[in-house]
This record gives sequence, structure tokens and C-alpha cells, in this order.
Amino acid sequence: MHTLIVIDQPPYGSWGGRESLDMAFSLAAFDQPVSLLFIDAGVLWLKRGQDPDGINQKSVERNLAAASIFGVEALLADTAACRRFGLTDDNLIGGVTRIERTGATLDQYQHVVFSG
Amino acid sequence: MHTLHIVSKPPGHTRFRECLGMAGEQDAILLTGNAVTALADSTITLPETVYALQEDLRARALEARQDSSNPITFDDMVLLTIQAQRVISW
Repeated sequence: MHTLIVIDQPPYGSWGGRESLDMAFSLAAFDQPVSLLFIDAGVLWLKRGQDPDGINQKSVERNLAAASIFGVEALLADTAACRRFGLTDDNLIGGVTRIERTGATLDQYQHVVFSG
Repeated sequence: MHTLHIVSKPPGHTRFRECLGMAGEQDAILLTGNAVTALADSTITLPETVYALQEDLRARALEARQDSSNPITFDDMVLLTIQAQRVISW
């Protein structure tokens, strides 16, 4: 059973997103297939150059860079949301697949969890 | 400055919309936390001048809008709260 975890809130302002990331890494650690999908303002998780030292938090960008090492199968991002927030090949972190039809993507997973 | 509106919720949150709706001409708006994502959101129209906390922008790799937004430090934020006759934390 492949699980899709959906993040639709921007990073750092609440703990919900980070908990979802923990869930994704935990599933991957137990060899359960898992992917992450970023929609709406959630795509801001994928922006390159984050530096949260000044607000005393750890970079989610660095967490996501390790996602494939931990066994997370895919980082997916909604194309329209990327456009809305000015995210392009130049400022997205590596390893992100942009998708056009979010609804159709959700249909492909037996288990879909929204964060927070 | 009459009222300083400090908003920490992202644009999708009702609190953000209520804040924009209530801010008058003598007021100032300060974006903190996830509210700073409004500056990256091409669908959001903001008042002519807004302040945004620099550290929250830096955390998210975002930049202030050239024409209308002023990035400020935590110290500036304290000064703003002193200058304002009242403060609303949304």
C-alpha cells in the first residue's frame, strides 16, 4: 500500500508539516512505500536557500534533501502552485517532480493523508 | 501610526483576510511567521506599504516586494510597537 502525504501549508509557521515529514520518514524506515505531495502554499517547502537560524528552527530544505536517502519515493509538487509562488527550475530544490493534475494523482494512491 | 496590525497567519487563513479588511489608512501592517508568504503569492494584493520580519523572510528564502514592502529586524518591530497607539496581534 503506497501512502501519499499531502502538505498544503507553508513551512515553519506551524508544527503540522514537520510532523507529516516525520510520518513520511517513519513509513519509509519500515519499508512502507511513501511519497510527499506539496500543494497550495505548501510548495514553499521546496524553495532553495532557506535559512531559519534567525527564528531558531532547523531547515526543512535539509530534511527534504535527505528524503530519497531515507527511502521516500517521490517529492511531487503542484505545477500551478509553483507558478503562483514563482518557483522555477532555478529556485526549486533537486529531485522534485512537478505534476499537472493533482486530483488524478491522488487517485493513484490507496492511502492519502493531509498534514496538520 | 494609529494601530499596528501584527499578522502571523498565511493568506489562506480567515484571520489574514480580516486583518486586511480592518486596517485603516493610519494603520500599519507587519507580516510575521507564515504571513510573510503573502509576499511570494502572486494572487495576493497588499496595501501600499507593509512591513515584514526579515528573519521570517530569510527562513523561507523569500524576498520583500521591491515597491511596497519593508523588511525589518526584531529591534525595528519593538520600535514599531512603541510608536503605535495600539497593537492588534492577529
